[in-house]
Amino acid sequence: MRLQRVAAIGPWTVVATRVLSVAAALLVGGSVFAFAGYDVPTLAASVVQSSLGSLFGLEDLGLLFSPLILTGLAAAVALRIGLWNIGGEGQFYAGAIAATLAGLNMHGPASLMLPLLALAGFAGGAAWVLVPALARAFLLIDEIITTLLLNFVAVLLVNYLCTGPLRDPAQAVTSASARIPYEISPLLDDLHWGLGVSVALVAIMAGLSAFTRWGFETRLAGANRHAAHYAGIPVRRRLMQVLLLSGGLAGVAGMLEVVGTVHRLQGGISNNYGYLGVMVAVLAGGVPWAVLPAALLMAVILNAGTVLQAYGVSNYEVLALTGLVLLFTAVGERLAYYRPARRPVRAA
Amino acid sequence: MPGAAVELQGITKAFPGLLANDAIDLDLRAGEIHALLGENGAGKSTLMNVLTGIYQPDAGRIVMNGAPVRFASPKDAIAAGIGMVHQHFKLIRAFTVAENIHLGWPDTPFRTSAALLESRTRALSERFGLLVRPDARVEDLSAGEQQRVEILRVLARGARVLILDEPTAVLTPGEAAALVRALRGFVVSGYAVILISHKLDEVLEVADRVTVLRAGRKVATLRAAECSQAQLAALMVGREIGGRRRGGAGPRRVGPIVLQLAGASADDERGVRALADVDLSVHAGEIVGVAGVAGNGQRELTEVLTGLRPVTEGQVRIGGRVMFGADPAAFLAAGVGHIPEDRLRSGLAPSMAVADNAVLREYRRPPVARGALFRPGAALALARRIAADAHVMVPNMRAPVRNLSGGNQQRLVARREMRVSAQALVAAYPTRGLDIGAIDTMLRYLAEMRDRGVGVLLVSEELDELLGIADRVAVLFGGRIMGVFPAGEAEPERIGLLMGGRAEAA
Ligand SMILES: Nc1ncnc2c1ncn2[C@@H]1O[C@H](COP(=O)(O)OP(=O)(O)OP(=O)(O)O)[C@@H](O)[C@H]1O
Ligand SMILES: [Mg+2]
Repeated sequence: MRLQRVAAIGPWTVVATRVLSVAAALLVGGSVFAFAGYDVPTLAASVVQSSLGSLFGLEDLGLLFSPLILTGLAAAVALRIGLWNIGGEGQFYAGAIAATLAGLNMHGPASLMLPLLALAGFAGGAAWVLVPALARAFLLIDEIITTLLLNFVAVLLVNYLCTGPLRDPAQAVTSASARIPYEISPLLDDLHWGLGVSVALVAIMAGLSAFTRWGFETRLAGANRHAAHYAGIPVRRRLMQVLLLSGGLAGVAGMLEVVGTVHRLQGGISNNYGYLGVMVAVLAGGVPWAVLPAALLMAVILNAGTVLQAYGVSNYEVLALTGLVLLFTAVGERLAYYRPARRPVRAA
Repeated sequence: MPGAAVELQGITKAFPGLLANDAIDLDLRAGEIHALLGENGAGKSTLMNVLTGIYQPDAGRIVMNGAPVRFASPKDAIAAGIGMVHQHFKLIRAFTVAENIHLGWPDTPFRTSAALLESRTRALSERFGLLVRPDARVEDLSAGEQQRVEILRVLARGARVLILDEPTAVLTPGEAAALVRALRGFVVSGYAVILISHKLDEVLEVADRVTVLRAGRKVATLRAAECSQAQLAALMVGREIGGRRRGGAGPRRVGPIVLQLAGASADDERGVRALADVDLSVHAGEIVGVAGVAGNGQRELTEVLTGLRPVTEGQVRIGGRVMFGADPAAFLAAGVGHIPEDRLRSGLAPSMAVADNAVLREYRRPPVARGALFRPGAALALARRIAADAHVMVPNMRAPVRNLSGGNQQRLVARREMRVSAQALVAAYPTRGLDIGAIDTMLRYLAEMRDRGVGVLLVSEELDELLGIADRVAVLFGGRIMGVFPAGEAEPERIGLLMGGRAEAA
């Protein structure tokens, strides 16, 4: 059979391709699990049952969903202007650190402190991407490398803080900070309003992109930088702003996690959300609202991971599954442009 | 070589809301140059995209050597000996000439080196008589050189049918003449050439036969020797059109200076001085033409005057005010419009919607903006208005602007810029890629703008066009102004000499 390329595909084809790609990835992943001796139908049933079939499961799902929305949104916002912010992980931690410092050292009523902590988280994340942003805007240094490398710095910084200056002496064994004395009010038992904040931020970003001059300018700068310059748009300033915003959103994710879910700063809280956020953004095609379904999918997979661990499936195998989903989506996106040729070609 | 090299039978191609090709027949013979004519958006590029496998026809077939063929991709077409050089070049700018020639070519040796690719390229260059520099980067090449690379790329893959989409639009007259000589050579050795062009004189000079399209239909195929420019023009437009109107030059009252360069110098991308000590002024209500061979500082001149490029020495003044630094927004706010020379690189964002592109200069102010808000509905309305004024049929304003035909993109940009040119308009090759009717309209618009008191700087290689409409003509050579003449006193011969760099005394 021969394939031919078509020039354009409709929006429904795009959606169908995404769904098919994900299904194909799960099929392949499932086959591998079956090959490795797992009872896949049982696994699948228990995944569905425990994550979607009970309130507890849904809660767990929500706790994963919320940070993935924000780190995904962070990466998606940068993608719109053509930048790859791979540093969500570091910005997440930077936001968490800033929120922790503010939370432990400042005192006030929760209604005042929570917004303040969110602001601190935002500022922390933005500060963490400041140097890559400056380097990108003024020296044309690739932001992929710089944002990525700063992730490792952030991880080490958190470890240092938790074993050193911020270590809670009351806790003998684990290295973590003291408990932050503020709580985000619950939506369900453990699930807190961070989820609502995350969804609201998606709506705000979608609105900014479509309905503000600033959004138009960033879209234009992402589509053709020369044309944006010609149109009188300060392209550098927009690149900077977008990267700072992107870092800030990842920082808010860190703040919500540390204040709402974990309650103290400690190593490993990012749970790879920063990297997974890049995947979410790619799955969403950089479109703000599409971050919601993409993050949900990623959350389901991650949640399945915790369930699967009970059956002896390791965390790495689950991560491999997410990689498979991304790979199939990327391939599917290209393949969507090909159709079988109608008749065989006769060479002249 | 008997019969047809390729035959198109009843080719039909529809896009959403538009029939781009409607049952078109065309036969191409080995050994001929076959010109394809038609207004902007008539369907010329689309037809050739069907022939080269980029698009699949909705109906009709392609016949070669008596047997129908179907090309699923340009690869199939080139395997069958049909190759195309597109209206917008498709070379990789960061690669060398040799790399571009060998990219995606099955004949490229598996183990290879830069030296090997370059020597193979050199051999090809000699075999086909097309001079290229194998080790040069494409981004450093002139339009003419890039085009030779494109042609060589196609010929190297064994094309016997060569399709050129508006090849001379971006060439200097010298480069165009060289191209025509090369094409003549090809057809003598049995190749067939399809040439798309809007320049009727050129077509009548080089083509053996001419096929005219109008609104997606074929109107006629004629022997070039038996037709006239007027006849072809009438066939394209569907009615008689008058001869080209000339600007009524003569003494006219002009206003104050709106655009001014005083001792201005500027560098190009590579940091080489491209404009040297230029003094030039444009008054309100006059058209100043800039004559010269492309590549003599035209790009830098227009960019300096529109805030895209800083001057290294001297001053830029808009309406008497000195402009500091390169700040396109300030020039826009001061009422200076700009029709740039390469619309796809800097004038448009090809992947964005027609509507977004149409409002690219006015999204800051009402009605598209309300405060900090961007109103998509108002943008759409304004875009419709601009498209209508530009006589561009846009079936879907949300579709990417790259789907518009080349000429229609140009019309859209021109119209958009005229709207923001309250004081002055800097127009670089504004008629490039336009059909003859549209060229007429464009020149009339420029004249109207002048009459409304706008200062117009018109950069063009068409001396006729310049002398016909401009009030004064400046000649640019090697980044310097060689002289400025009132259009009435400018003799084409003398200007021609100056364009070649020869001083007055010679
Ligand atoms: N991919 C596409 N999707 C939708 N419409 C298209 C597409 N390509 C071309 N068109 C439309 O088809 C019509 C014919 O376009 P085409 O590019 O063939 O014109 P043309 O004769 O080459 O014009 P020009 O002289 O301006 O280059 C135009 O109205 C154009 O907008
Ligand atoms: Mg065309």
